[in-house]
Amino acid sequence: MPRPFLSDALPRNVRCAHSIIANLRAFANPNRYSSALHTAPPPPLPQNGTAHPHPHPRISTVNDEEIAHFSRLSKLWWDERGEFTLLHKMNPHRMRFIREKVLEVLREDDRNDDAVALRMRDSNRLLNGLDVLDVGCGGGILSESLARLGANTLAIDASAENIHIASQHAAADPGLSSLSFRHTSAETLLQEESKKRFDIVCSMEVVEHVNNPAAFLRSCAELVKPGGHLFLSTIARTPLSYLLTIVAAEKVFRLVEPGTHTFSKFINPDELIGFFTKPLNEGGRPWISRTYAYGLPTRVEAEVRGIVYVPWRGDWVLAPRATTPLSTQANYLFWIRRPKENV
Amino acid sequence: MLLRGQNSSARYLLRRSQSLSRQSSHALTRLYHVTAAERAGQKECDIVIVGGGPAGLAFASALTANKALHGSVEVTLVEGGDLSKVHDWDMPPHAFSNRVVSLTNASLDFLDQIDAWQYVDAARTCPVEDMQVWDGISGSRIDFNAVSLGVGRGPGSTQMARLTETLNLQRGLLRHLSQQPNVTLLDNTKVENIFNDDIPGGGWPMVQLSTGGVLRARLLVGADGINSPVRTYSKIDTYGWDYPTRAIVATLLHPPRTFSPNTTAYQRFLPTGPIAFLPLSPTSSSLVWSTTPALATVLTKADPAILASMINAAFRLPELSVRYLHTRLLEHPSLSPDDLRAEIAFREQAHAIAPYSAHASANVNPDDVNVGIPDQGIDAVPPLVARIQPGTIASFPLRYRHAEAYIGTRTALIGDAAHIVHPLAGQGLNLGLGDAASLARCVGNAVMHGSDIGSHTTLAPYARERYFENHKMMSAVDKLHKLYASTAPPVVSARSIGLEVLNELEALKAGIVGAAGGESNPRSSPSSLWGTVTSGVETLVDGARFAKVVGSGLKSIAGGVLQQVARAAGTGPGEDRRG
Ligand SMILES: Cc1cc2nc3c(=O)[nH]c(=O)nc-3n(C[C@H](O)[C@H](O)[C@H](O)COP(=O)(O)OP(=O)(O)OC[C@H]3O[C@@H](n4cnc5c(N)ncnc54)[C@H](O)[C@@H]3O)c2cc1C
Repeated sequence: MPRPFLSDALPRNVRCAHSIIANLRAFANPNRYSSALHTAPPPPLPQNGTAHPHPHPRISTVNDEEIAHFSRLSKLWWDERGEFTLLHKMNPHRMRFIREKVLEVLREDDRNDDAVALRMRDSNRLLNGLDVLDVGCGGGILSESLARLGANTLAIDASAENIHIASQHAAADPGLSSLSFRHTSAETLLQEESKKRFDIVCSMEVVEHVNNPAAFLRSCAELVKPGGHLFLSTIARTPLSYLLTIVAAEKVFRLVEPGTHTFSKFINPDELIGFFTKPLNEGGRPWISRTYAYGLPTRVEAEVRGIVYVPWRGDWVLAPRATTPLSTQANYLFWIRRPKENV
Repeated sequence: MLLRGQNSSARYLLRRSQSLSRQSSHALTRLYHVTAAERAGQKECDIVIVGGGPAGLAFASALTANKALHGSVEVTLVEGGDLSKVHDWDMPPHAFSNRVVSLTNASLDFLDQIDAWQYVDAARTCPVEDMQVWDGISGSRIDFNAVSLGVGRGPGSTQMARLTETLNLQRGLLRHLSQQPNVTLLDNTKVENIFNDDIPGGGWPMVQLSTGGVLRARLLVGADGINSPVRTYSKIDTYGWDYPTRAIVATLLHPPRTFSPNTTAYQRFLPTGPIAFLPLSPTSSSLVWSTTPALATVLTKADPAILASMINAAFRLPELSVRYLHTRLLEHPSLSPDDLRAEIAFREQAHAIAPYSAHASANVNPDDVNVGIPDQGIDAVPPLVARIQPGTIASFPLRYRHAEAYIGTRTALIGDAAHIVHPLAGQGLNLGLGDAASLARCVGNAVMHGSDIGSHTTLAPYARERYFENHKMMSAVDKLHKLYASTAPPVVSARSIGLEVLNELEALKAGIVGAAGGESNPRSSPSSLWGTVTSGVETLVDGARFAKVVGSGLKSIAGGVLQQVARAAGTGPGEDRRG
């Protein structure tokens, strides 16, 4: 996996320039634009009931190098002004998107009587009683918010360090009794005998870090109850996102640790939409039945919303719904609903 | 593996869910802490507010008014004093407390929105419909009202601001709060110490009360005034200085004016500090007079008749004579009221002030002023003070303080804990109410998004929204004070040009209204008009920009003069790196 090769022997500014050039060169490589979703071969199907004596399931989409990277950073998860400051700032916007979509579906499901949706609109317990799974919870930034809105939240991560930090942080908070953490992967959960499925599955800023995104998405999707929600957030693979996330954020301004992102793993919105326009399993029915202008699905099936960091505001802005796909050139949020009937 | 490095605190950790802990080692159960402190009367709190002054009470009220917080955020307010005294405060209709604040229309809108204003006794409040501000030395005057500026509270309103006794406001807020289920008021309770919890992943503030308990706060709000213990705990420094002046306050009694309601606020800038006359009712007004500490001591200790005569003279006599009277009184603190009146009469004669004209006070019976046809220009000065309401004379030190930051780790500062400003623009509490509104909004947003209300991410927008706004206003007020404290002739002449310029420029007038009253615009914060004031004052101080305003013809004259103004205004006592 390409990582910036920083030589310790060089002074910092030289190293910096060096790696930018290295990356620009790599950027020129047309392979960088190829989709991570489609080039990967499908994973071998796991044997049901395989026992995993050690924390890492043998067959998984977990990328050990990525996990090591985030484990090294795990102590910094809750330093809101440090390494993960952008993620902390993004969180309320992700939650707003989740709120909006959950409310919208409430309304959609109850066309004749939106009393429920109206009542929930001002509710601070919007997710009360729902089973929610956060895949790749990291330090638990999103998981805690989900639990505060009332969700029975299970948060999982492939890094034991992350789970350690996340549970320690949540334990200090008396308001999070509906939140639990497990060091496991989506694939392992899927194989468990309990066959637990969730009203909402979230996996934020994860899919660009896993080994086999297609398999990973399939696992996440399968964990969603019929009629339930799947929320993803990731980064599009465009020249703009390369400039913003790799060159600017990692190299020039050092907003995040170099090596946090691997450009070739970024996934474009149309790739995600394309993925869900095909059946996930043989004989199943696709989650997106048809697409319209710009190849976009209807809002009741799936939605892509760009989210842009505005430096002079020091905050993210969730692009308004009506904007063109231009706003999804870098970071974006993705929502999709599993059809109600079993697929 | 999971408890690595936490041996000392491991005894606090309990496995909460037996069923989950039965799972294999890669499953982690949620850990739950029971601390020793909890067993010894520790209480978990969402929001702890320290300070039951107007800012703390308004913040608590704003929180309860937000539906999003119902059922999820419990508020505990700790106050060292006895709040029942405020709750049961009562005064006869014609008597007024000496602590009065001018609430801007934006502040009034805020109090209305949070349903608190209805608990304030409106009959005891008074609108400001006209404002007269003049330079003690040059006599340049700005006269403005809500109608001409179109800044009333709603269409057709003539109200620029509303004068309200602080106690009336506090009592209203308390009565409002006592109806709310989510608020616990702990009065007669002092915060003795604040420290961090020792929970891994925690570090939340622990508030030790004089009554023995400990509150563990998710968010700790310091509305605890100038010596804010919350600010000290947060390790936030303040910068600022003490002005070499004290403010004398008193409730002034005077006969009603037949030709106009008593709804004009008057302020004269004397070199020793501004003197303000703020209407409360047709027969009562409030005094805020900032002057030298020595004079303040003499005036507050002397016969109240002396203070009354000095107030009347201070609004009427030329500055030279006012200064003379001050010296006379300082040299002879035991001067009798009659001797002082004779002294004033002599000065009036010397200045050819006719004995019954608007600017005469020595031998005028206040009751006669209103008889017959009023003297021309009588509304340029406030009503003649007949008496001072007994027991209302007091004085306060005046300071400039600004906290270096408004937020710490799980802490936020509002009101005087965050900033203290000279009262000449009547902005102190209005800033505090703006803080309360802004912080309550941030907390409300955070709750809707499931954010931790004590987190930096939640609190940062509060600091972003308020810090610079407040700073602009505070430095504008400070510059005004310093500008008018100077008697140097070039400064004075520039000032008179300045005031004239101010008078001409609608935008700048609106700015001054923001100063002592305020535009009511839900989209703008209470002090947004001060942006204009700031630029107005900057215009006075900054020669280049001033020249642009008055035209290039004046440039060469004004440039030199204004450099001196700038120097005089920029080198006041305690001027610091940010001043
Ligand atoms: C002469 C004068 C005129 C003014 N005129 C105006 C005006 O016209 N308009 C205007 O807007 N403002 C005006 N102000 C400013 C205004 O009065 C203040 O800004 C306002 O009162 C500050 O309110 P607060 O709630 O922030 O602080 P405070 O009123 O100081 O309240 C702080 C509270 O915290 C409590 N406390 C402190 N420490 C502890 C502890 N350890 N434990 C428990 N409790 C504690 C105190 O008991 C107190 O009740 C004027 C001020 C002065 C001096």
